[in-house]
Amino acid sequence: MAINRRQFIKRSAGAVSVSLVLPRFWMSNVARGQGIAADPSRKIFVVIQLAGGNDGLNTVVPYTDSHYQSLRPVIGFTDTELKDENGNSTILGSDPFALNPAMGELKSLYDAHKVAIVLGAGYLNPNLSHFFSMDIWQTANTSGAGSGWLGKYADQKLLGKSGLSAVSIGSALPKTFYADKVVIPNISPAGGTDPFALYAYQTDPSAAGVRDKNNQLNTFKATNSRSFPADSFIGALAKAGFDAEEGAAQLRAAVAAYTPGATYPTNNTPSATAVSFASALKMVAQIITTIPDANLFYVQLGAFDHHSQEIGTNTDNFTDRTKGQHAVLLKALSLGVKTFYDDLTAHGLADNVVMMTWSEFGRRPNENASKGTDHGTASPMFVIGNPVQGGLFGQQPSLTDLDSAGNIKYKVDFRSTYATILDKWLGADSQSILGAKYDNLGFLV
Amino acid sequence: MASLSYDEAAHLIRRAGFGGTPEEIDDLSSRGREGAVDFLINFNQIDNTSMQSLLSASFDFSDLTNNDKFNNNEIRRWWFTRMVATKRQFEEKMTLFWHNHFATSSSKVQDVFMYLQNVLLRANSLAKFDDLLLKVSQDAAMLIWLDNITNVLGKPNENFGRELQELFTMGINDVVTGDQNYTEQDVKEVARAFTGWDYQRRAPFSFQLKAAQHDNGTKTIYGQQGNFSGEDVITIISARPAMARYLTWKMFNFFVYPMTTSADDTSTIDRFSKVYLNNNHSIKELVRAIFTSDEFYSSRAFFSLVKQPAELVVGAVRMLGGNYNPGSTVTTPSRTSNTLAASSRNMGQDLFGPPDVSGWDFNLAWVNTASLLERFNFANTYLTNRNTTNPGVFVTADQLKSITKPSSKKTVKKFLARLGPLSTDALGTLRTYLETGDNGQPVTYVNDDATVDKKIRGLVHQIMCLPEFQLN
Repeated sequence: MAINRRQFIKRSAGAVSVSLVLPRFWMSNVARGQGIAADPSRKIFVVIQLAGGNDGLNTVVPYTDSHYQSLRPVIGFTDTELKDENGNSTILGSDPFALNPAMGELKSLYDAHKVAIVLGAGYLNPNLSHFFSMDIWQTANTSGAGSGWLGKYADQKLLGKSGLSAVSIGSALPKTFYADKVVIPNISPAGGTDPFALYAYQTDPSAAGVRDKNNQLNTFKATNSRSFPADSFIGALAKAGFDAEEGAAQLRAAVAAYTPGATYPTNNTPSATAVSFASALKMVAQIITTIPDANLFYVQLGAFDHHSQEIGTNTDNFTDRTKGQHAVLLKALSLGVKTFYDDLTAHGLADNVVMMTWSEFGRRPNENASKGTDHGTASPMFVIGNPVQGGLFGQQPSLTDLDSAGNIKYKVDFRSTYATILDKWLGADSQSILGAKYDNLGFLV
Repeated sequence: MASLSYDEAAHLIRRAGFGGTPEEIDDLSSRGREGAVDFLINFNQIDNTSMQSLLSASFDFSDLTNNDKFNNNEIRRWWFTRMVATKRQFEEKMTLFWHNHFATSSSKVQDVFMYLQNVLLRANSLAKFDDLLLKVSQDAAMLIWLDNITNVLGKPNENFGRELQELFTMGINDVVTGDQNYTEQDVKEVARAFTGWDYQRRAPFSFQLKAAQHDNGTKTIYGQQGNFSGEDVITIISARPAMARYLTWKMFNFFVYPMTTSADDTSTIDRFSKVYLNNNHSIKELVRAIFTSDEFYSSRAFFSLVKQPAELVVGAVRMLGGNYNPGSTVTTPSRTSNTLAASSRNMGQDLFGPPDVSGWDFNLAWVNTASLLERFNFANTYLTNRNTTNPGVFVTADQLKSITKPSSKKTVKKFLARLGPLSTDALGTLRTYLETGDNGQPVTYVNDDATVDKKIRGLVHQIMCLPEFQLN
């Protein structure tokens, strides 16, 4: 007999343990600023959401396909443009694709066989609504309903672990991390020199209040460390409340011990977006290098919804295809990922981390009249890291076999990418999480 | 007529609303149990012009296609403004109950339809259940949300037909007997009855039956055969005892205490469900029975629920007599504050954006370190915001001072009474806070302006961080 989620929660309410965002490292080397010893069994996964619908055809460019040029006479790259700002070709060897010229850093990782590109990732009967399609990708369910796919993983694997074993960095918790049993925190970046400042127990910021801060903290700790009956709501509230303050303080103390192993972009260079995206990855690096349980992370880059002026800037009258809104975002992605990768390498952690990008859809092959593109369907996903077998996976959709809306037809179910990562990297049973068996794409062995 | 003590009246207004000031609680108490409930549920008789004036001065919803003045943020600001400013607290609380019950989300449904559904829920919140259910089912938001607009003859979409039974009316199993309420075949047949239900694509987006897409064949539903329409199905379901029990169970969990599967609790549900069945499916009579019941005023009920985030942020303003200035899009330049909606969302309750069609999970589902940190930091922001002119949430020094007393003990007691009233053994700790100086040295408490601006703001922040305050 089916039990729905609400009934499950109700029936088990007395037994549900409160999830604690409590890093268990106060006695560890980390708390003493000595870093975590290398551990080959650590499997860390970082999701990078390209929000708004990334133009896959101008990201992994099928530059030898004449239909690409004819569908995109204005925004399509010509062969001679396919080189990065240092003049290095972004063409992917002998394959008929090139990366967007803004992605020189990612190209260098690709050449080092650290990047798998899953071509044509999408799903049957694509939904062109941003939100609905995001829900589909985030729940791995074409109804868009239920908890997130990594939330389901967390329910299976992270129950009882440190509450910072999964963390989203951004303005709000993404649906991918919605779980039924585990609660995953979202940390809003504060910017500046203390990016974790918002993830703290705050007191009166006025001068008098700051002087009174210790009294406030002592009062808080005293009232929330009282004993209450076991299995009572008030007991759970006091424990979680106490741990919230302690955990946040411990987190900040721990991440303060971190020293970056690479130079992250600053001063709005190459763009404010690149700086904020790289800063989010830097926060991830801070947690990875200080929290032994660190396992899942989520960062976002956007907005890719380039219905107009996808290419060019004011100064070139919106004609320079190597500049413009899309190039700025892809540069942010490429530079951020490479800097983060270099930082992990310097900390001896690059073998422990796999990154994956996704976007709710690609964009229409045929450009519109505004130097932009409208909502499309399938697009490529990047899977990045030392554990990855680099190269091309999946299959490029045809530019002549389009659906009734003029969009390409997906070739690989995006859940195959998820399944490959769940089974081959996270040590999970993908079928129990995704509800069905999907192909192993082979980019992880 | 049963009397209503101050604590009982405070409990009533926390549950049937968001909490009251001492004046509001005294007023309810003076009406007695039945009188107070009668007053709250006959909210149409309560003058609400002050809220209407505030809404008129703060929002411009005259053109629902004007994305600057009507959007995702504005509908949330609008509802939180109502919840803080209304004199008809039960009207907003019941609307929240139905929003959770018929959980629809702006993740899929356009803002205009979310807003119109909210207006519909409010206007029909105490109607005959059949009528409310029919209106919600024929409203654009629900037709879109559960895909009934693609539910057509020959190609039924079962989404609405399933959730109608599983979440909106009966549940999979009878909450009293445990019997299965319907079969998978019933889901298919019910879906057929709703084929062709659609809405007009132009304002006011009225319901329309697309006759050519409606399945006029014979359906077999719960063992009965007939050419049932969607309206027929709603009438049939609304009269089922399982439906009455399920609604009663949901209301007890929302308004009274978490229900168990004990014989006592199933017998309670069965008893109250008969109020619904014997009163022509009147929601109003069911809630009247619940709010006047001994169960509602039992010790088991007091502070037995974890505050929902919306209850917490709105209650913090209402109980303390603080201020939420929502700002205005009517004035130029427009300046607004959506801080209550944002805080509630960060604590896990994004109004107009429930996680899925089953609504929010309650109690322990609200309790985790990240969401509690949000609760504590909301309290700090509220208490230490000294800007009383800009849009935002704040409490003035004068408002705080008026609650203080010359002695530290009486001052702590006064604020605990204001914010619950809360019963706690932390009184001594809070008193010590008032009597401790910046360097930890003992100081004598005096309720002068400097102390109010530092220590009283800190004290109220600390009270709002008590686990007792997180309960309702």
